[in-house]
Amino acid sequence: MEKATKNIFFLGKGGVGKSTASALTALHLAAVGHKTLLVSLDPAHNQSDIFEKKFSEKNYKINENLYVKEVDIEKWIKKYLDDIQFQVKRTYSYLTAFNLENYLDIIQYSPGIEEYGLLMAYKSIREKAKNIDYIIFDMPPTALTLKFLALPRLSLLWLNKLMDLRNKIIEKRKIISKVKFGKKEIERDKILNKLTRQIEDYQEIKSVFESPDKTCLNLVMNTDKLSFSESELIVKKLSEFNISIKNIFLNKWTEDFDTSGIQNKYAGCGFQKLAVSDTPLLGIDVLNDYLKQISSFIEL
Amino acid sequence: MEAGKIFRKIFRKITKGARIYRQASQANAVEIMEAELSEMENIFGLLVLGSFVGFPSPPMQITLDLLPEMEKHFVLMLNKTDMAQEPISDLLSTFDVM
Repeated sequence: MEKATKNIFFLGKGGVGKSTASALTALHLAAVGHKTLLVSLDPAHNQSDIFEKKFSEKNYKINENLYVKEVDIEKWIKKYLDDIQFQVKRTYSYLTAFNLENYLDIIQYSPGIEEYGLLMAYKSIREKAKNIDYIIFDMPPTALTLKFLALPRLSLLWLNKLMDLRNKIIEKRKIISKVKFGKKEIERDKILNKLTRQIEDYQEIKSVFESPDKTCLNLVMNTDKLSFSESELIVKKLSEFNISIKNIFLNKWTEDFDTSGIQNKYAGCGFQKLAVSDTPLLGIDVLNDYLKQISSFIEL
Repeated sequence: MEAGKIFRKIFRKITKGARIYRQASQANAVEIMEAELSEMENIFGLLVLGSFVGFPSPPMQITLDLLPEMEKHFVLMLNKTDMAQEPISDLLSTFDVM
């Protein structure tokens, strides 16, 4: 049986070292023989600096097993809105489409569109990564990541309600048609088709997010109080969406810091310490040297 | 014989009258159902396209994905917004009162 591609997400407060932890994990998985794709979904795009290479939307080959890419979310949003605008112009009368044009122009700045851009990029990357064992996502800071992970669940709440109402409308239309013309309406409702397709899509994404076999969430934190409290908030919010954290990465750890408190608090999670480095972790050679110093790497 | 003819004629008149009455009632019922359907379509439009008239709306991508198929709802919703200041007159005209 073909092995399913596994998502590995790295999330946490801004600046805790999500990009470094995801780069190290990607190098580790590639070194032990897994086909790995490292994707930066963070608009800050630190991977180019960490690897000291210029990455883009195209897969950049680092070695036999490792590829890296950086996603341009704005490009995805623009492409999506252009497509909608094209469809509206094709199906609407000239005057209605004309009235809508200005509105569609400003939609790119509306709340919610950024996480949808992320979701589109995620879907496309996952569809194309058939021969990849692990896709590692270096995520944006907390707020956007939580919205991204909650989006399938939230969308399904709306879609199911809309679907109920649509079914009632279609039922009523059928009755009217039967009384007036003596036969039931057989034409398939286009809106119902679209709702059905959207529900299927979001259910698929939601089930992948919630499945521990297909998705592994790693929470990165430092040894400071602010990082702990934000991590707590992330765990709490994710549990509301039925998503759980698998591993804790404690970055910039020093010998004098006692980890037992954190390990007790997140007893069900795996634990990976990343000790503070004397030299900046920049460049593949430095990253590989650092990896060699880690005695054991957590299972993902 | 003559009486039989008269009875048949009366019977035909009565059935014709009943048919007309039935058709009129049916047309009236369908009209009310159509008004109800139009209201449901309007509610659906408001739910999906609410952001165009300042209502809470679903995540933007749901609206955008359905938008190409919703011109009728869009126009209906804007017309209803025009009538929003006169709900009673709208209701009376829907049910053909006065």
